[in-house]
Amino acid sequence: MSEASQPLLAHRSALRRVDWSAPAVCAIPVAVVAVMAWMLGEIAWLGADKLSWTFLTEAPRNAGREGGIGPIIASTGLIVGICLATALPLAVATSVLIAEYLPAHSRTVRVMRTLLDVLAAVPSIVFGVFGYAFFALALGFGFSILSGGLTLATMILPILIGSIEQSLRAVPLDMRIAGAGLGMTRPAVIARVLLPLASPGILAGTLLGLGRALAETAALVFTSGYVARMPESLLDSGRTLSIHVFDLSMNVPGGSGPAAGTTLLLVLLLLVLNGALLWLIAIWRRRTGMSFTLTP
Amino acid sequence: MLGYRIKLAAVALPLLALTVSAIQAKADETRLLLTGSSTIAPIAEEIAHLYEEKNQDVRIDIQTGGSTKGVIDQRRGLNDIAMVSRRLKPSESDLTAHTFALDGLAMIVHEDNAVEDLSSDDIRAIYTRKKTDWSDFGDDGGEIIIINKSEGRATLDLFLDHFGLIPPDIKPHMVIGENEQGIKAVAGNRSAIGYVAISTAFYDAEHGVAIKLVGLDGVLATVENVANGSYPAIRQLNLVTAGEVSKTTQAFLDFAQSEAVHEILDTFHVVAPSR
Repeated sequence: MSEASQPLLAHRSALRRVDWSAPAVCAIPVAVVAVMAWMLGEIAWLGADKLSWTFLTEAPRNAGREGGIGPIIASTGLIVGICLATALPLAVATSVLIAEYLPAHSRTVRVMRTLLDVLAAVPSIVFGVFGYAFFALALGFGFSILSGGLTLATMILPILIGSIEQSLRAVPLDMRIAGAGLGMTRPAVIARVLLPLASPGILAGTLLGLGRALAETAALVFTSGYVARMPESLLDSGRTLSIHVFDLSMNVPGGSGPAAGTTLLLVLLLLVLNGALLWLIAIWRRRTGMSFTLTP
Repeated sequence: MLGYRIKLAAVALPLLALTVSAIQAKADETRLLLTGSSTIAPIAEEIAHLYEEKNQDVRIDIQTGGSTKGVIDQRRGLNDIAMVSRRLKPSESDLTAHTFALDGLAMIVHEDNAVEDLSSDDIRAIYTRKKTDWSDFGDDGGEIIIINKSEGRATLDLFLDHFGLIPPDIKPHMVIGENEQGIKAVAGNRSAIGYVAISTAFYDAEHGVAIKLVGLDGVLATVENVANGSYPAIRQLNLVTAGEVSKTTQAFLDFAQSEAVHEILDTFHVVAPSR
């Protein structure tokens, strides 16, 4: 595939022709970048002196005003881990069904897409209430890391399915025909050819979902809960980084220092994830020459 | 193909075993679940920590969601104790409130201000800018500078609730967040009026900060008057139960209302009720 046909590069060359002397055109990106820089700068300024090894490993004391965020990092990791371990297999299976088995414009696919779009647009607090009613009460998991992880899984499912389906569709038809020509069965072509080729796209979607999960507060207040103790089992309640920030800044007098430290860690994690995402997409484009756009 | 399946099983089976063992919770300890007010949650959590240190076999989990959720959970038997940061409503007379702390709201002005006491009507008139000059209250401070709390602060809720105001009614000159920020703003402005948590204001006024606590409806704004319930703008912090409670629950309720927690209450700028 030639470079000229790639939409991003075409876009970039169009940008070069823009008349940069027009002040309005300049002002908008400057303003956007400035707001972003100001925000990141303030978080770094307030939180930098908080981040230390002891802060990252110790348990919080005095309602989080002293001590660290060790158990909170552990709970966050477990919740996000359960979320991905549940959502990823479901999302891969659904995307394979939509992209490989069902006719692209069939009624079933249209209905499924609409449902997924609706699911993607649902406010996260609704997932929280659903998770509380279904996982915590009906299934009896209570306020637990398990309830929280499963609730987040239902929330990021549409994002994962969207990006995995896209990356499967981006694999050229030749690959499927060549596989069939070699006498491979359809499941074998999917498992051995299509999914490996689509894997950087699957990873990119996963990182995107992970970012959404890490930033979530509303869906977790009623599911994984508020307890800041080191979790001993998946049925223990566990507080995530976002909930810790929310609680320190809203309910604890004198909690703004550690809140800034925790926010800085959260922002750093999200920046690293986003960096990894861009890097993976770049590698994938170079290796396969396939185009892939993200539709979160 | 077979090798592939064995590999898959080699990864999946230990993972499954790990998950099952991780899901099984420990059964050898007594657990208490508290749900409700997010204002009380951090205080209750500190009290719970202290209690767990003294009673190793008890584990207390705190969950938020608001006072009313705590009440609903208590009625449905989903929690052991509800945390409710207000008086119980008449419709909640089936429940028992154990007040373990009181949170008061103090109106503060600059220490040079001649005003000693304001009525609730005066404060409504000032905050809605119906009266805009200190001369209305016998002071020569000029135009009144109104300082309000930012959205989402518990003190703002208490202020609105007590004076029967809604956010659009209030026309502030300045909006602040932390209690300390409000105190600094008033200390630095001869014409300002603001409101903060009473124990913070009292502590700072005692320690030479240039503010004065104004009496409300003829009652002096002191920690004692909050503790004995005579000060009007107070909020109860309650632990709420229904009917008979278990021994563990009763032991924790007793602990939360004992002298042992006073140091914790201080750090949250609330006071224990005198009894």
